[in-house]
Amino acid sequence: MDLGLIELDLAAETSRDVIAVLGEKMLENGYVKNSYIDAVIEREKNLPTGLDLGNFSVAIPHTNAEHVISSHIAIAVLRRPVVFYSMINQTEKLQVDLVLLLAINDPEGQVCLLKKLMGIFQNKVLLQKIKAAKEKQEIVELLGTVAL
Amino acid sequence: MAQVNVLSVCGSGTVTSSMVASKVKEFLEEHGYSVATTEARPTEALNLAQSGRFDFITFTSPLQSGDYGMPTVNAFACLTGVGEDEFFAEIEKIARELKR
Repeated sequence: MDLGLIELDLAAETSRDVIAVLGEKMLENGYVKNSYIDAVIEREKNLPTGLDLGNFSVAIPHTNAEHVISSHIAIAVLRRPVVFYSMINQTEKLQVDLVLLLAINDPEGQVCLLKKLMGIFQNKVLLQKIKAAKEKQEIVELLGTVAL
Repeated sequence: MAQVNVLSVCGSGTVTSSMVASKVKEFLEEHGYSVATTEARPTEALNLAQSGRFDFITFTSPLQSGDYGMPTVNAFACLTGVGEDEFFAEIEKIARELKR
């Protein structure tokens, strides 16, 4: 897990801002194509990715594999909650303070990565720890604890 | 072994539909079924449903309205883990009641 893809205490006003900041990191590293950021923003408008986990919400913006060069996940812990809409109820606004930007190149071949991801956002205790992390290294270690 | 064909639908037809498909597959295989899964976007779902190749649909993005001719199950609980038990109970019930 690349430390450059973790943002702590990110100040952003909108979901678009968060996607743009994290997307830039992916682009700088050559993980995604130039079309990626716009594609994620566009997709989020039509098919939002907010997940209401009960007592808090996360978002998992992403787009089709054709915009991705190599699979990575970027994480942002937000300074203030930002509105994302719910994946399953698109008019429902969620206050999100943890965003995982996904770049998935080969979903069929990456079932393990996807399962790990599910393991992350299904684990509320883990998510709380990620939100409370003071150092990027803490997050790397926490993610390492998630079973494949 | 009974064969079950699942159509898993999500916005991009890639990420969350694959997640759900793999969990549903695992679950049904544990219950003695042989499972084939396909992922699709909501825009493709109706056509695929009408192809007759699938037994039921799971979705994490809303399906377009139409006659899918088979059970459609909201898989959000499977994705987030919240209310997952009810989701899997329903999947089990659908699989059991499939006419062959």
